[in-house]
Amino acid sequence: MIEEVFSIDLPVGEQFRIQRCRYTPQSGETKKRISIVSGIHGDELEGQYVCFLLGEWLRSNPEKIKATIDIYPAINSLGIDSITRSVPFYDVDLNRIFPGSKNDFLPAQIADGVVSAMSGSEIAIDIHSSNIFLREIPQVRIAKSQADTLVPLANKLNIDFVWVHDAVTVLESTFAHAMNTLGTKTLVVEMGVGMRLSKAYGHQLLDGILNLMACEGFLEIAPLEVRMPIQSEVGEVAYLNASCPGLFVPAIEHCQMIQKGDIVGEIVDPLSGQTLDEVIAPIGGILFTLRAYPIVYEGSLVGRIFGENG
Amino acid sequence: MKRIEILNFKSPNRAPLKVEGFLFGEESYGTTIAIVGSMSGDYINQLYVASGLVDYLRQKEEEGKITGKILVIPAINTYALNMGETFWPLDKTDINMMFPGYVQGETTQRIAAKLFESLQGYDYGIILEGRRDQGMCLPYVKLIQSGYEDIDSARDLGMRFIHFRPYSPIETVMLQYNWQLWGTKACSVVFGKNGTIDRLSSGEVHGALVRLMSKRGILDTSVFEGYASNIIEPDDITVLKAQCAGIFDSLVGCGVVVQKGEVLGRITDALSGEKLENITAPIDGVVTCQYANPLIFQNSIAFRIASAITKR
Ligand SMILES: [Zn+2]
Repeated sequence: MIEEVFSIDLPVGEQFRIQRCRYTPQSGETKKRISIVSGIHGDELEGQYVCFLLGEWLRSNPEKIKATIDIYPAINSLGIDSITRSVPFYDVDLNRIFPGSKNDFLPAQIADGVVSAMSGSEIAIDIHSSNIFLREIPQVRIAKSQADTLVPLANKLNIDFVWVHDAVTVLESTFAHAMNTLGTKTLVVEMGVGMRLSKAYGHQLLDGILNLMACEGFLEIAPLEVRMPIQSEVGEVAYLNASCPGLFVPAIEHCQMIQKGDIVGEIVDPLSGQTLDEVIAPIGGILFTLRAYPIVYEGSLVGRIFGENG
Repeated sequence: MKRIEILNFKSPNRAPLKVEGFLFGEESYGTTIAIVGSMSGDYINQLYVASGLVDYLRQKEEEGKITGKILVIPAINTYALNMGETFWPLDKTDINMMFPGYVQGETTQRIAAKLFESLQGYDYGIILEGRRDQGMCLPYVKLIQSGYEDIDSARDLGMRFIHFRPYSPIETVMLQYNWQLWGTKACSVVFGKNGTIDRLSSGEVHGALVRLMSKRGILDTSVFEGYASNIIEPDDITVLKAQCAGIFDSLVGCGVVVQKGEVLGRITDALSGEKLENITAPIDGVVTCQYANPLIFQNSIAFRIASAITKR
């Protein structure tokens, strides 16, 4: 069932709206609910594909549904339809304005509408695709304070990497923080790259979501065979930042295992024809982030490597 | 006056980003102040006030009136100013969300780190800020309660209102909070409408900066007294929202004293022209801030009114 959960008039004959598709069990009442969310950032589309795949699966298996399953493919709907990451007109990152407020400007009201629509869900999965600059392997990011509750859940998602990071105050304004505070166990998935689809990742995460829903009692199916993600707590993350401006040309195509000293890519100068720098892996491990957008300034992130200790 | 390079940052193809500061009274052992101008590409008013201040201080220096040390950095994000962008043009990050900065980090973290380093050790710090929404406002002092804030120096600006409030999570990565934590008595002066120059409020802000410098012994010049600033906390503000979206007509200016029942603005349907709404003041007070775009969204904040009546 498609429902509109938030609507607000735009100035000239249109509404800003957030829609969800709700699936419920064929028989019996349920209070148990899960929310699948994408498009908080308007330039991230990987989650849209996952929403489609999940919807398609649920439409063909209605008898397996044991609880309410809500799919929200497009939170920043105005942004998604116009390749705009932030909330258009206001230029505000929606994921820095949660939990929002009814008394504040449009982005804050959207955030408030999102929270009220989803609060009461037992679990939420917020699917991001990095941004247009970086390509990420499927991973879940969790604040340290939430690790005990969320890591076991993340391990069911068929992802490659679970990254537990230190709490940062600024991240208290994210959707995930707001929902976790309200008691909805919320996982943030990052995978793929902005403005593009990575089909294989979409299918990988679909399996993970089905598995999680089977394990947590939302679906009447046997759990799926899923991969166990690498855990960030057993090693360290190395950041590779560009040392100079130029054109970053990767030496490797995809995120993969690399050795210390391997060349990740080169920064070249199209004007003089010179190679300005080689980006060398400072540690061995899995290159889980790789730059997708070639123009770099000094400091631009070109990759991240996770290396296991010892 | 000494023109100093705060940072020089190379671009792949553009001419380098050069951030310049103007330093007065370099040799002085007196009180010190740093003033930060435009951090966003749409903070034109802030650029205007900062560069105007540089010119003013140059004259005062010739007259031998500078008794402390003053650093003015009129523009940080010149790349955005030069192309009509708001944020860092490549990745759209906000430099004022990157403090205290990180020299090993992303581009704008590095820019923030360099800037922050050049701002260390000053007694007073003023950040000239624009709006973070589509509004315009009566110039006011924004002072966040970091635990290190200094309300006395904020009062010396003599502005009508000091908005004094707890900080939100995103403010922990902004300059004011971090500058305060590192020991500078920092506050922001927020004014104008982004992308424009308002001469009246620019003049008011210029006057306030000169007043502070005079009162704190940085500048030897006589000034008129300003306001005995009213401390406004979030509870003192009444928010008036638009019930309808459409074309917005404001009938009052910022700073106007209004009475309960007075019509402040009108909204009409953008297509049919039908009169949809009169926005009226529910309380006596002063309009501190209003929506400043002709097209308004439903539930947008049309006006903010500060009232002494709600004071505890
Ligand atoms: Zn995102």
